[in-house]
Amino acid sequence: MAYEFTKEDLQEIETIKAKYPEVMPATLPTLWVAQRRFGHVEPEVQRLVAETLGLPEAHVHGVANFYTQYYKEKKGKHVLDVCTCLSCQLCGGYEILHHLEEKLGIKAGETTEDGTFTLNQVECLGACGYAPMLQVTNDKYVNHLTKEKADELVEKLKSGEELEYEQIKMPQHKNI
Amino acid sequence: MPEIFIDGHRYEFEGEHKVLQFIQDLGKEVPFFCYHPSMTAPANCRQCMVKAGQYMKSRETGEYEVDENGDRVIRWFPKLQTSCNLMAADGMVILTQETDEQVKRAQKDNLELILINHPLDCPICDQAGECPLQIQTYKYGPEGSRFEVKKVHKPKRVQLGPRVVLDAERCINCTRCTRFTQEISKTHQLTITSRGDKNYPTTAPGREFDDPYSLNTVDICPVGALTSADFRFKARVWEMNQTPSIDITNGKGTNIDLWTRDNLILRVTPRFNSEVNDHWMPDAGREAYKIFNENRISRPQQKLDGEKVLSSWNNAIATLGEQIEDTDNAKIVVIASPHASVEENYALSKYTNLLRLNAPVFTSHIEEGTGDGFLLSDDVAPNTNGCRLLGFKELDKSAISKEIQKAELVIILNDNLVDRSVVSADQLKDKFVAVFATNNSETAEIADLVIPITTAAEHAASYVNVDGRIQRTYRAKETKYTNRRIDLEMSEGRLDRYGTNFDNWVTEDNKIDCMPMWEIVNNLADAAGLDINFKDGREIMDEIASSVSNFSGVSFAAMDEQAGIQLSIKKETSTSK
Amino acid sequence: MSTVDWKNYTPVLLPDIKDLHKIDVYTKNGGYKALKSVLTDKKKWEGPKAVVEEVKKANIRGRGGAGFNAGLKWSFMPPADGGPRYLACNGDESEPGTFKDRKIFEYNPHVFIEGALIAAYAMEITTIYVYIRGEYKTYIDMMEKAISDAYDKGYIGKNILGSKFSVDFYVHSGAGAYICGEETSMLESLEGKRGYPRVKPPFPAQKGLWGRPTTINNIETLSHVTGVINNGAEWFSSIGAPTHPGPVLYGISGHVNNPGVYELPSGVPVLDLIEVAGGMRNGKKLKAVIPGGSSTPVLRADQLDGITMDSDSLRTVGSMLGTAGMVVMDEDTDMVDVLWRIAHFYHHESCGQCTPCREGTGWLEKILLKIKNGDGEVRDLDLLLDLTTQMEGRTICALADAAAWPVRFTINRFRDEFEARCIKKAHAVA
Repeated sequence: MAYEFTKEDLQEIETIKAKYPEVMPATLPTLWVAQRRFGHVEPEVQRLVAETLGLPEAHVHGVANFYTQYYKEKKGKHVLDVCTCLSCQLCGGYEILHHLEEKLGIKAGETTEDGTFTLNQVECLGACGYAPMLQVTNDKYVNHLTKEKADELVEKLKSGEELEYEQIKMPQHKNI
Repeated sequence: MPEIFIDGHRYEFEGEHKVLQFIQDLGKEVPFFCYHPSMTAPANCRQCMVKAGQYMKSRETGEYEVDENGDRVIRWFPKLQTSCNLMAADGMVILTQETDEQVKRAQKDNLELILINHPLDCPICDQAGECPLQIQTYKYGPEGSRFEVKKVHKPKRVQLGPRVVLDAERCINCTRCTRFTQEISKTHQLTITSRGDKNYPTTAPGREFDDPYSLNTVDICPVGALTSADFRFKARVWEMNQTPSIDITNGKGTNIDLWTRDNLILRVTPRFNSEVNDHWMPDAGREAYKIFNENRISRPQQKLDGEKVLSSWNNAIATLGEQIEDTDNAKIVVIASPHASVEENYALSKYTNLLRLNAPVFTSHIEEGTGDGFLLSDDVAPNTNGCRLLGFKELDKSAISKEIQKAELVIILNDNLVDRSVVSADQLKDKFVAVFATNNSETAEIADLVIPITTAAEHAASYVNVDGRIQRTYRAKETKYTNRRIDLEMSEGRLDRYGTNFDNWVTEDNKIDCMPMWEIVNNLADAAGLDINFKDGREIMDEIASSVSNFSGVSFAAMDEQAGIQLSIKKETSTSK
Repeated sequence: MSTVDWKNYTPVLLPDIKDLHKIDVYTKNGGYKALKSVLTDKKKWEGPKAVVEEVKKANIRGRGGAGFNAGLKWSFMPPADGGPRYLACNGDESEPGTFKDRKIFEYNPHVFIEGALIAAYAMEITTIYVYIRGEYKTYIDMMEKAISDAYDKGYIGKNILGSKFSVDFYVHSGAGAYICGEETSMLESLEGKRGYPRVKPPFPAQKGLWGRPTTINNIETLSHVTGVINNGAEWFSSIGAPTHPGPVLYGISGHVNNPGVYELPSGVPVLDLIEVAGGMRNGKKLKAVIPGGSSTPVLRADQLDGITMDSDSLRTVGSMLGTAGMVVMDEDTDMVDVLWRIAHFYHHESCGQCTPCREGTGWLEKILLKIKNGDGEVRDLDLLLDLTTQMEGRTICALADAAAWPVRFTINRFRDEFEARCIKKAHAVA
């Protein structure tokens, strides 16, 4: 299928370009625009980005493949990025990952047959104090995971419910 | 003058110098992979480590500070430095692997790391024998590997483009190839993909690496990651002879090397010349190796009753002599050639002048659109300016065709005038056409007499490029009448030195039955009772230099010393874009 | 050693004020006063240089991990020549154990924006970019809002607060690459390229973004500038440990009861900090602490007596403050697993540009995996230690060092535990 940016996308890309003295810096933000529009940046989308910005295709390809958040292939509707790095490892990140593997019937890195979920094991997401945690499709963080909370999350996503932003109150130290 | 101290020796320098390049220019060595003198220095291979420091100078006196023993005080940089991007500074002290154990160890450590994911299968790798990684590992690397876990696997035998094949596992991520397409050819066709130890160079998905200069990446790849689709696995580098030459497929006169094995040219690679082509050459010129091997005219040919038959040399020489004698001088046209060397053109003209034939004429060979503003010009002949400087009359296509119409005997020096539509076969039908030619062509096909001459790979002769630079070739390939072992100027490879008659790579089949133009001229002159005795290109050039003012001061020795000589040409004759 | 009075400390970066992220609330609480002061109070601030001097005097040591005096860094900028100059704010925080700057984005974005604007004024910067890691999408949105509000109120843009000072301020989102927290790699990423660290020299102050003078500062570092301008350098340098002064955002994670980000003076005793975070989880005993992000050398519990969270004190036991992202480990922690996971992280995040890191990080991880799986041999431990020396100080950026230090120090400090996991049998002879 041929990919095309909408008028609004193109307008957004123009706004992005205006932030920088050159076009190349628009590569990352434009890949983001593309991924939000198409759900991934497969080679054909990379080509569209290169054409839109007037940059070499190889450049866009090299950039897309350097950064892990760009989906170089189609993913499930919901991508569950489970952090297993240091603090999450200490607090049970792997248990959550394995639990989700069992629940969804897939291994980390795979997508369910119905295309609803992709499960990934990822590096530190910068939520070490709220471990174990995961991120849903490059967006909301789900913190302080337990197996039960993970199950609830899966059901919630299946039912199409929007995720709320989980605000974490600043702990104050005066309590000691 | 600023001074720098390398391994205890003092050197003076002026201007800006990268330490690695400075050391190389001294004829010394520090191992490296990613650095290339014509591109930016990313310092990513980390191989060229040296220990660097600075002699301390007193602020007040400007004199070097000395310690209690009278030795100069050195402030060492806290870490070892990559010499490729370290700029030489006054009072700098450099220790290389020759004098410093720490540097030696660092280089060895780095090679161990480079090799952990690199296949250790040199015996089956096409790069073996000319592989900087292999060579430097022998010289500076560890004796074994402590890597006992799994290597990273990557794509192998990827046809990156029509001419280049990638083995990503061999890649050491020096980025010379990607930098080449960014900085030199500017096609931006290559990028590094992925991250970390999964990195390797590639094109955008679905795109071909069809950069017209793509094969330069093969030349500069310091490992066997990028290989030439055409040349790979054809020959081991140590089986070949390497001979300097000039690209004869374009007027730019790119400096090249011809690689020969058993009298076949197997590949062409660029040879550095800062005035002409730097380190590079277009892919187009590399195909040219085939014209030295294939489709060659071997032994003179004559048309008898409309049928081409092989002829003896004596018969061929006699036939041409008779034709000239039997034809009214006014009805003879002699066509010199921008595709032939200065010496060949001169030899022919000397003969025809002595016979008082019409002065030779020529027509240039321009193919609009070939020029790319880099290493290709629209003029696709190697010696157009040579013909001009010899004073030959330059005619355009229709003028030369008119000359031919008037003639009864047409003598053509290696120029495929029919093939390039200067004249038609029909126009030549009722004339006697004698050609001196290297390869079969339509022109040779319709000729009544074909005399085979040597190619640029078989003679040492000069060519003047579009910018007026005269440069010369060397003999790379034997003919039926030459012998590498007694020709002092021919390069001698390992096989020549140590091979025996029983070695299966030695055959007589690949020697062409042809002669240098000047030897043929000697024979023609002899038959006509003229006194011409050309020995070789070197002597002819000496004669030209003393008799044609445009070439004064030119000699083989001077060309060798200065990598060619710039001649003064009229600006408008330059077709270099 | 004088003890830091942290118990009576009142947070300044992250004070307990409701809706402080809203610009009106921020200004009502004294926000943008510092900016106004440097731009308009010519008696107090003779010019940009005076601001640089004040910040230099405050000795704000970079909170991104390297701990370099921010004012001193600013003073490396060459004189303005009329061309563009850039401030790149580093909000890429990705070092495992570090999660503090997001609190500023969320709870007090304007203290950072104000600090960055003051920095821009001080260095005669023309454009500010804040680079935020792509995973922080929520905070990127929050920052976009805060910046747009500040534009609307005239704190950013042309002729700010009626002065001659004009500056633009943009958010640039990362897309998943730890290395982009390295300052020159971040510049490459901002320029739209693969995040390969640059070879130095030239340093960013000479040739940064698009070849122009550029300064890179961490978010927390810049946020402190606001307080320094409001309260003076002395106020700042009198807080916490004298050689590494000022408030610090401590991110505490791991086996504690109340993990999270705590704003306290520098120099809080490590053991007190664990108590601040609610003490050890499930009443377990403390085994080890990684004081400032995964690359800082791990410390055994028995090394922690009297050690405070500042660079001098931590140096005495062979570690560093880093990002002050402290990871606490209890007695049940398997140090082999922990080290393997750290090695896995650096292997995954190595950009692959230069040899020792690209190849070394993978090798480290593979050997550690072998040991973790019970297939290791004691000689592998020595190989690991040897490898760290082949990586440290040999690369373009510090990622190789960051990968090597944990290996070196964790093995050295928990050697018994590693040896116990190795195969003991000698190789069979036949």
